[in-house]
This record gives sequence, structure tokens and C-alpha cells, in this order.
Amino acid sequence: MGLQFQIAMRNLFRNGRRTLLSLAIIALGTAMSFAVRGYVESSLTNIQAGIVQQNGNFQIASPLLFDNEAEGYEYLIFPEDVETIRMALSQYPEVVDVSMGLNFSGLASFGRRSKVLRGIATRPGNTALDYNDLVIEGEGLKPEDQGKVLIGQSLADERNLKPGDVFRVNLSTVDGAYNVGSLEVAGVFSLNSQQFEGQLIFVPIDYVQALLNTNGIGNLIIQLNDIEDSRRVADMVEGELQSMGLNLEARTWDELSEFYQQIKGFFNALFVFLTVAVSVLVFFIVLQVLTMAFLERTREVGTIRALGTKTNQVFFMFITEGVFLGVLGGLSGALLGWLISLGFNALNIGWTPPGALDPVPISITASLEVALVPFLVGLIATSFSALFPSLRSAKVNIVDALRTR
Amino acid sequence: MIIETRNLTKTYEAGQEQVHALRGVDFQADAGDFVVINGPSGSGKTTFLNLLSCIDLPTQGEVLIEGQAVSQLASGSLAEVRRDKIGLVFQAFNLIPVLSTFENIEYPMLLKGVPPKERKEKVNQLLEEVDLVKEGSRRPDQLSGGQKQRVAVARALVNDPVLFLADEPTGNLDSKTSERIMDIMKRLNQNHKVTFIVVTHNLEVNEYAKRVVYIRDGQLTEEQKR
Repeated sequence: MGLQFQIAMRNLFRNGRRTLLSLAIIALGTAMSFAVRGYVESSLTNIQAGIVQQNGNFQIASPLLFDNEAEGYEYLIFPEDVETIRMALSQYPEVVDVSMGLNFSGLASFGRRSKVLRGIATRPGNTALDYNDLVIEGEGLKPEDQGKVLIGQSLADERNLKPGDVFRVNLSTVDGAYNVGSLEVAGVFSLNSQQFEGQLIFVPIDYVQALLNTNGIGNLIIQLNDIEDSRRVADMVEGELQSMGLNLEARTWDELSEFYQQIKGFFNALFVFLTVAVSVLVFFIVLQVLTMAFLERTREVGTIRALGTKTNQVFFMFITEGVFLGVLGGLSGALLGWLISLGFNALNIGWTPPGALDPVPISITASLEVALVPFLVGLIATSFSALFPSLRSAKVNIVDALRTR
Repeated sequence: MIIETRNLTKTYEAGQEQVHALRGVDFQADAGDFVVINGPSGSGKTTFLNLLSCIDLPTQGEVLIEGQAVSQLASGSLAEVRRDKIGLVFQAFNLIPVLSTFENIEYPMLLKGVPPKERKEKVNQLLEEVDLVKEGSRRPDQLSGGQKQRVAVARALVNDPVLFLADEPTGNLDSKTSERIMDIMKRLNQNHKVTFIVVTHNLEVNEYAKRVVYIRDGQLTEEQKR
């Protein structure tokens, strides 16, 4: 097999220009696939980070809250259960922070005009879900703050609000009574989303509990060290809580975000479509080139068959040539893709997605993991291209092949 | 007996017509024979050689090599017969262009799985016998016609075949080079005790033969012993 391998390698470089053409086609296809995959990877990672920052790695709550099936506040978790859950979570070294969430909706009055706002409870000073780092004007919330609030920049612009201004919010308590609270703007945050900035307000959880007249919370938001641990830890914690008789579920960040699933599905479909298109293109062009190259060697095949080479050995020789071409093309393509991504990232190109206020950078992730699939696509497409001409060459009639000029 | 054919027949389909290339040829050759097969173009001599070298199958009849009927063998076994028992030389030399002289000669031994040390010794010995020691590392495109044919002769003998078959081995060579090639082949025939069968229409080659067989219209017509 050694010399046949050598023959395959030497034949590969026998017609330099043709081999270069094949390599260029495979490399371009692979690089294109690399760039798209790198862009998808980068976008999903950014989206993931944003979702985890907002939702934690996983949340613990009643299925009524998760599934939006609650009629009132029957999903609330009360202090004794919260303590049990905290004890359970303390056994996991992966857990870095636990926050409590409690959301509400209320009608805010700004003079003669009003607007429905969505309130998100926050515990100022927590390492996780501390929205103070989003503040662009005024101050963040402090642990001792009562009746203070962070509002979005769009809401501030729309209602001409600034730090120190006070507005009222009307809402129902958990037992259905009417309540009114005064909220003083501590700071203005930016989330780069007109919709969120116009509707969301962050309020200290103690004040939200007071407004809703409860000591319960809606959910627990858990932050982990590593996103990869989310599913495993969530499953273990959920099993433990259920064994303790608590009707609570643990849902990971990706389960909590329908948007992420949709965008991931879209990106994956885009990548698969492009990869299939590139593979088909590479397959047919390389098939054409290899068929010509192998046909030119028909007489040589007749000779080596006449010398006693078996059909499977001839097939091995030709397919080795195709596979090696695929490996070289795939590696060159991965390298080219890598360089393209470095160059592209250096340009710092950005775009403003629909609903966003500021441009977000477009980047291409360059990693071995990203390179693997495009490399394999280049390799497999080329190997398949070599399959038919290799089979044809292996099965050639010896006498006819020797007559070929 | 090294090779024998019984009622060897080969018919080709050419459109609606049948072309009878060989019509029931009976032939025998013993160990160490040097047989030259003469015949005009289209007489069937190359077809006959193709059947003897197991690269083609007869329409009817049988080829026996060392008593073994080979025509019914499967493709893989037939390849082994060619590899182990037959050495082939072509008019156009048919060397592998990407291999050196040494590697071209070595190639059949690799197919047989001969260990490297043994391969090296054998190839070097044959390079000496065909006077190509200095050309061992050259590629075919760096060799003259006569040198290429000597490489082909050495390659044909490298696996110690019982049968050496050559199709117009001097067809692409000038008369002086042809003479040198035939001298080498004659010497190798004597040294290696291999049965040589040479198909040619060059009558000068007959001088080297122990037997000359004529083929005409697909039949052996006469035989001369020398």
C-alpha cells in the first residue's frame, strides 16, 4: 500500500495547475462555510450571553408562572420554601449567585397621561442581575433604597423624566386590592431596545413586595460559573426539589427564551442551506476535474492491472488521491476562513437590528470548533467527487485501457 | 509444461458481425523455452498474447499455466496469477511516469508484499543485469527508449515469473537498441530459466528464438524449431 499511496500523492501534483484549481474551489467553499458558521456562532454566543445575563443560567418557579397559566399570584414561592431551595442550591459549587424575581404590571401616571409598565424586581448589590451596570444617567439602586426605580432611556425621553423625578404607579395587590406607589427615578438605563427601554422598570424587590402586599417571590434566578453546566445542574436541582415535595420546576436559559430557539433554528437552517449549496458546487466541479485527471491515466491503470494490481488496490490509489485533495483543500479553506474572519473582525463593522437603538458589532468567531464542520464538508464533498471516477478507473477493462493513447 | 492452450478461441462482436480473432489454438511451451510468434497485422497474435497473459478471457477453450486452468478464475485470483507467474513487456514500455526506475521495477514486488530488504537486493541485482545501475533514481521521462524497455524487462522479471511475455518489445526502438534488448532478453532467458514468449512482426527477432510460431487468420499455421 505504501507505494500506491506514494503514487497517489505524486499524481496529485503531476498537473500542478489542475490541482491548484481543485484546491482553490474546495478552499473557497470551505472558507465560505467557515465564515457563515463563524458568524452564526458569534451571533448565537452574543445572544446567549444577553439571555443568560437577563434570565440567569436557570430559573426555579412554579410551572404556572413558566407556562403563563396563573390567574393571579398563585405561583408565588414563600420564605420557608425559598430557604429550602437556597439550602439545596448551596450544595452545588457551580452556583455563583441566586437572585429572587418578582414581576408586576402597573399603570403609571405621568401628569394627565398614563402608560402600562412592566416592573422587574431587583435586589441591589447582588452580583448577578444587578442592572446598575446598564445605568447611563443618574445612579444605580442601593440596598437601602425604597421607592426608587431605574427607567429606560426611551421612557425617559418619551415622558421627559430625569433622575429625581417622581411618578405614580397603580396596581393590584396579590389579594386583589387596589394600591398606589410613588417611584422616584434613581437612574436611566440603556438596553439598546426601544421596546424594553419604553416598558421596563427595575424596582428593589422589598418595595415590590410591599406594593403587592406579599412576602413571596415569583422565581429564583440562578447564575452558574459555566453556561455548559446549565442543563445538568438544573436537572439535578429539579429532581431534588420534587423529591422534597415542592411543585417547582427548573428551566434553563434556552428553555426560557423562545426567541433564542427561533433564532438558533433560523441560523442553523441558513448554515445548512449554504453548506449544502457549497458542497454540491464543490462536488460537481471537483468531479469534473478528477474525472478528466483519472481518464488521462486510463492506460496507466491498464498497465498496473496487467502487472497484477487488484481492482480494490486501484480504487484505493485513486480514492486516496481524492481524500488527500480534500484534506489539503479543507485545511487551506479553514486557514483562509480564519484569515477572512480576522480581517473582518478588524474592520469593526456594525449594524442596527430592527428595534435596536445603537449598532451592534458583526463578528465572526474563529475557532477550531467552528473550523471542524466546514473542513469536514470540504473533505466529504471532495471524497464523494472522487468516488465515481475511482470506481470507474478500478473497473476498467485491461485490454481496452492498454489500447488507450 | 509451463503453459498450454486448448482450443483457444476468441470472438469479438463488431456491430452485427462476429470477428474471429482466434480459432481454436492449441499451443504448449516448456520451461526455459524462447518462443517467437510471428504474424501479419490483424492475424490475432496480440489477442493470443493477451489471453496467455490473463488480461483477457477466451470465448472458448482454456489456458493452463503450470497445469492450472486460469480462464475460470475470479478477477482477484487472476490478478494474483499475473502478479506471481507472469512478467509482461509492452511495445510502448508502459512505465509508471511518477515512479523512478528503481520504484518501477520494485512495484510488482510491493503488490506481492515482499519485505523491503529482499526488494532492494532483487531490484539492485536486476538493475545490474539490465545495465541501469546509474539510472535507478531517474524518472521514465529522463530515460531513452532502450533504457525504458530495459526497465520494463527488469520489472517483468522481478517477481521470478515462470512466464515472460513481450508484445512487440522492439517495436518502438531502432535496430541497434532492438538488438541490445533482444541480447539482454536472451541472456535473461538463459540465466533465469524462464519461458519467454515474444510476439513480433520483426523477423530479425526470430534469430533469438528456440521456436518460431506463425499465426495467420487466428490459427497457428506452422512451427519452426531452431
